[in-house]
Amino acid sequence: MTYYPLLFLAGFAGSFHCIGMCGGFACALGADPRGAGATSVRHVLYNTGRLTTYCFLGGLAGGLGQAICTSLGLRQDLGTTFLSASLDAGQRALAVVAGLLMIIMALSFFGLRGWHRATNSFGGSTLVISLRSLLRTPGYGAPLAFGVLNGFLPCPLVYAMVAQAASTVDVLSGILTMAVFGLGTFPAMLAMGHLGRLLAPRWRTRGVRLAGGFILALGLVTLGRGILPMAALHGSHNPWHFT
Amino acid sequence: MTPAAVALCQHCLLPVGRRGFARTVNGESCRFCCYGCCIAHQVKSGSGDASEAAWFLVRLGVGSFLSMNIMLFSLLVYSGAFNGPDRRVLPTIQLLLWALATPAVLILGEPFLRETWSQARQGRLTSSALIVLGSLAAYVYSTLAVFQRGGHLYFDTASMVLMLFTLGRYLEATGRARASRDLAPLLAAERELATVVEGAQEHRRPVHEVRAGMLIRVKPGERIPVDGLIVEGSTHTDEAVITGESRQIAKSVGAPVLAGSINLDGPLLIRSSGAGGESRWAQICRSVREALRQSSRTQRIADRLVGVFVPIVLALAGVTLLYWMQSLPLDQAMLIALSVLVVACPCAVGLAAPMAHSLGIGQLARHGCLVRSPGALEALAGARLIAFDKTGTLTLGRPKLVDLASDGVAEEEVLARLAGLERHSEHGLAQAIATAAIARGLDPTATEDVRIVPGRGLRGHVHGETVAAGSAALMGELGWQLPPTLSKRADEMASTGHSVVFVGWCENARAGRARAVLSFDDTLLPEVEATIGALRGLGLMVTLLSGDHAGAAARVAATVGVDEWQAGMLPEAKRAALDQYRERYGAIAMVGDGLNDGPGLACADVGIAVGSATDLARETADLVLPADGLWLLPWVLGRARAVRSTILANLAWAFGYNLIALTCAALGLLQPILAAAVMAGSSLMVVLNSLRLERLPGPSYPGVLQSPAAAQTASEPQPREQGQGRELAMLKAES
Repeated sequence: MTYYPLLFLAGFAGSFHCIGMCGGFACALGADPRGAGATSVRHVLYNTGRLTTYCFLGGLAGGLGQAICTSLGLRQDLGTTFLSASLDAGQRALAVVAGLLMIIMALSFFGLRGWHRATNSFGGSTLVISLRSLLRTPGYGAPLAFGVLNGFLPCPLVYAMVAQAASTVDVLSGILTMAVFGLGTFPAMLAMGHLGRLLAPRWRTRGVRLAGGFILALGLVTLGRGILPMAALHGSHNPWHFT
Repeated sequence: MTPAAVALCQHCLLPVGRRGFARTVNGESCRFCCYGCCIAHQVKSGSGDASEAAWFLVRLGVGSFLSMNIMLFSLLVYSGAFNGPDRRVLPTIQLLLWALATPAVLILGEPFLRETWSQARQGRLTSSALIVLGSLAAYVYSTLAVFQRGGHLYFDTASMVLMLFTLGRYLEATGRARASRDLAPLLAAERELATVVEGAQEHRRPVHEVRAGMLIRVKPGERIPVDGLIVEGSTHTDEAVITGESRQIAKSVGAPVLAGSINLDGPLLIRSSGAGGESRWAQICRSVREALRQSSRTQRIADRLVGVFVPIVLALAGVTLLYWMQSLPLDQAMLIALSVLVVACPCAVGLAAPMAHSLGIGQLARHGCLVRSPGALEALAGARLIAFDKTGTLTLGRPKLVDLASDGVAEEEVLARLAGLERHSEHGLAQAIATAAIARGLDPTATEDVRIVPGRGLRGHVHGETVAAGSAALMGELGWQLPPTLSKRADEMASTGHSVVFVGWCENARAGRARAVLSFDDTLLPEVEATIGALRGLGLMVTLLSGDHAGAAARVAATVGVDEWQAGMLPEAKRAALDQYRERYGAIAMVGDGLNDGPGLACADVGIAVGSATDLARETADLVLPADGLWLLPWVLGRARAVRSTILANLAWAFGYNLIALTCAALGLLQPILAAAVMAGSSLMVVLNSLRLERLPGPSYPGVLQSPAAAQTASEPQPREQGQGRELAMLKAES
């Protein structure tokens, strides 16, 4: 399965993009006065919270995709043979939508803005204000809560992955998609927490481009999954079909 | 009303109402209208060390963490991930879910439980009771199922319902706070602190403790807390809060400064000229606060409906449960009843009116228009006729003396006596007479016990002998003779549309007579024509009710193009005319200068005073426009209509949504979690719909290009730019 490593890499490269925003948070979360162990716990909690949110979104998206496909299937419920066919049609439609969304977002990483403004609307700014007060709160609850809320911050990378998760049309796959992506962001984010801003902005820009590349690739593949005839994907050897 | 019912929420500035509760934040006792406002306020004000502030977010975050995990596992269970060979782990998963759900329900449900409890002790049921009942039922049922190893688990329902409602209330509160952003500088007067200089020491004191004569230090960027004179320093100020116009005004030593204006760029030492609580800013603050505390008829109806809604929903849920229990197992019947409970939460209905009101009041206030009550806004929106007073409203109110004809007395004596008499009047003509007297170097004759004869003129005594000035009717009432030469001249003057005043007095204990007639010309305000045109364009009938004689009224009526006019009206006659109009047209509005037409303003459904200089507290007007603010009227009307239609849309949405969702839920078509999301979405829709009011354009000065006022206004910044400058100033003030 080449699919999950690709997601992991997208997360990893994408986390250089995150450093701009979330990495700043991770730095601000800072060190615990009780020592390195406590600091690590803080950061692991923060990232766990974030991962949970991602998984939740992924599971929700996958479930939603599943629900959409199933309801499409039920509407045309003329017999069991048709069910799988219509399920497949729904899945393809979702794949097309998700693929297009991912491509649009990938393009925003290459500097074609416009989408960015739409994502940083009312809800986002409110959350950011809210988050600041959490940063300096002692205790282990705060970093966890912070991570959870951080996960909901509007981020094109996350949206792209959620779109991907929806196109998997399965709760478990959706969760896994987001989990793998989230784990991909771990190394950089954990490093940020400990090392601070070691990376030069130049590298961050490269990371952003790289992430854009991965997302573009994923988007194209997803789109292809929806558009290309089944035969081209060799039926049951279809690497994107994991049930 | 109890004090609790009229207090305003610390966060969103709406009335606290029945759901309200008190809490100590940063050592300060605060009242909030709901749990969401409490969280949002703490989040906003929590600057660093206030750990309690962050505690709410921690609660939300950790609660979300737990419920999201519950949701994840539940989703997996539902999607059949543990159906195959992994069936063995299912009991473990169930225990895990219970372990996650217990703290989640405790953490997220506690505020709702507390609210329900405190309301229940007062014998009231609120919407939080529905949420608590619903989620507790799901939790208790699922706990029993875990330990008795049977049935489905609904931990996800219990925790997600709570989480969605917490989130919904939080978002609602942020939206509402945004709605009241415009009001904040106006309401700041009450809690503002002043730096009082006493000898070598400086103390921070609440503004209402400041007395006249105290020295106050004001740093650049601060709001000037009291009216006063500058003792030291020079600066620019922005008096936007008071005048509605954002403009930099240079001030140096000796210049008066207004409370509420922003000290832009220089440190100041000012000497307070009055008590802190008496400044116009403080009065505006009280007036706005009072307006927010009032509720309109629409809102009262909505509140009453919400009040009866909760018990009805409880009953309905019970009926639903009983009905479905006959055909379905208990847990599924319970789930349907639970959906009913959750989906019926009438939060959006309670929110429909107040938020639109506070947005409307705030935006009007930002342009210097003060509203006495939200009801006035709604009445204005429904008005079908608008009546104008002429003098001082449509005209400049600063007439000039253009002609004087006397009968056997010197012009100087006439003017001196008139000036003495009019010194006691606030009427527009008084200023013209004083100006004319000063121009000729005359001293006003000392006049005692001057009385205003409403709608007719003035009378007083000089050395015990009566002197009077006013209309021919006043002369007639006094039994004074009108020399034919004078009345002829007066007719000539009046025929050209000028205001005519007779002056007469008694001399040597003989019967008095009219001795002179003066004519005044009052120029029309440049924006009147465009304003009245705009009002007629908005579908209003416009009439003119003038106390002046027919000639003047006819001239004005013809120039500005009103639908109807009546002249020579005394205040009582205006009142009668308004009553007649009301019978014909329904709701009516009356515009006056707030000085001579108090009864008319009070009698109309909406009394609008323009540029009133009198004490706000004594106003009879429901709406006060700033001085020279007549041109704002079409905009104000548009705003009022927008507010009303927003409220109606909100109510229609909230009720329609509730009814449809309720029906779906009772029929078992709606999952409880979906129901909770739907309800949170409904509140959010109402908030967003109300916030749309924010995006309406600000007022723009009519006909700047065509009107003669163009030359006059060109030197000043245009009103539209003023609005923007004003926002900048506010930003400065906040930062």
